[in-house]
Amino acid sequence: MSTAVNRPRWTRQLAGLIRKDLRLELRTKETVVAMVLFAIVTLTIMQFGFGTRDDDLTRFTGGLMWVTLAFTAVLGVGRSYVAEREQRVLDGILVSPVPRIVLLAAKAIAIVIYMTITELVVIPVVGIFFVKGPYWDSIGWIALVALIANVCIALSGTLFSGLALFTRARDLILPVLFLPALVPVIIAGAGATHAVVGGPHDMSEYRGYCLFLVGYAILFLLVCIATYDAVFDD
Amino acid sequence: MSASGVGHIYGERPAVADVHLDVAAGERVAIAGPNGAGKSTLLRMMATLLRTGTGTLTVLGEELPGGARRARCGIGYLAHDPLAYLDLSPRQNLQVYADLFGVQDADRRIDDLLDRVDLIARADDLVRVLSRGMAQRLALARMLLHGPRLLLLDEPHASLDAAGAALLDAELAAMRTDGRAAVIVTHEVERIASVADRLVVMRRGRIVVDEPVAGRGPAQVRARYEECIA
Repeated sequence: MSTAVNRPRWTRQLAGLIRKDLRLELRTKETVVAMVLFAIVTLTIMQFGFGTRDDDLTRFTGGLMWVTLAFTAVLGVGRSYVAEREQRVLDGILVSPVPRIVLLAAKAIAIVIYMTITELVVIPVVGIFFVKGPYWDSIGWIALVALIANVCIALSGTLFSGLALFTRARDLILPVLFLPALVPVIIAGAGATHAVVGGPHDMSEYRGYCLFLVGYAILFLLVCIATYDAVFDD
Repeated sequence: MSASGVGHIYGERPAVADVHLDVAAGERVAIAGPNGAGKSTLLRMMATLLRTGTGTLTVLGEELPGGARRARCGIGYLAHDPLAYLDLSPRQNLQVYADLFGVQDADRRIDDLLDRVDLIARADDLVRVLSRGMAQRLALARMLLHGPRLLLLDEPHASLDAAGAALLDAELAAMRTDGRAAVIVTHEVERIASVADRLVVMRRGRIVVDEPVAGRGPAQVRARYEECIA
């Protein structure tokens, strides 16, 4: 029996892994639906917790939005290897010649997609719940910082979920590792959002926070490249 | 495949110790032994899923762990579990693995294999609704998908139905002529006479017997095995 097998291209491996994750999510709808519902419930609770509709919470908007997104990210990232773990598929993936960094990239891209879908709901809801004054003209700027932050969340989240995957107390370890790592993302995301919501845009401040997030993403990318083989093979 | 002084320790307990084993092209080696003898641990090290603690392990000419990625291109691994996503169909599962192994003309190859393992009629059902035997036949197709040169099989007959077991036996028989090698971990000692050229018996992490099977029937292999582990 002979089969034509070339040294597999990483682009094909990456596309195959992303397609697989999206197919599983489309079939089960377990992660994105849970993330969106969790985010809406959290925002609703915060709305009740912080005061009535008459109170102006505009200056807290960034913080409220990014704390909500951070907790939602923990939920999504925590589910990123659930199929591999619960259905015992991981050995099959690991015995294939896929570079471990490609595994990380595929999971990270899936998380970026899930976070983006969640934010399509969260960002408008935040405007409705908390903002008095101009908001909708800032949507583009908020979306941009959200996209950069999603990359940060995905890179750090995938690294920590990979680390937690091989521990017994993984459901406890992941938030304990991941949430502190998200603090800079929350600070920068909230700061950038604050700079463009509820008044004149402070683009200098906004740009500074975005550059900080880009730096965070680069840092975690380098950490992932340096450690991800060891996470899976050691 | 060549293991020289290979060992692995779980915690403080050595699971595999000082194993020396060579498997030539076209050779089929059966590893038997009682529970906890270290058979599956040794197989996982050969499959690059577990690092060796001591010794040198070379698979398909690649020394591990450095050459693991190149070696994986030629390894087919059959485990206790089907290693398939339950919420994908057999066809979609094989597409995932075809992408990971870089299989060319993947659609035709997948259809051929699904036909061979008699799953073509269920190719688009979810694996979740397949029987255990069908899922294990899918695992057989997954293992063969990329035309591996070294098959590593952990209790391969355990969950296969009669048709699946016959297919696997035919595949193992064909290997002798086309130069592929196989390492088969099994508790079904009687089968060794028909599927293997060599019997390796492990006990407490060490190889206690490594000898040819040729000329022995199932009962004689069973008797020899019992003698080794007594």
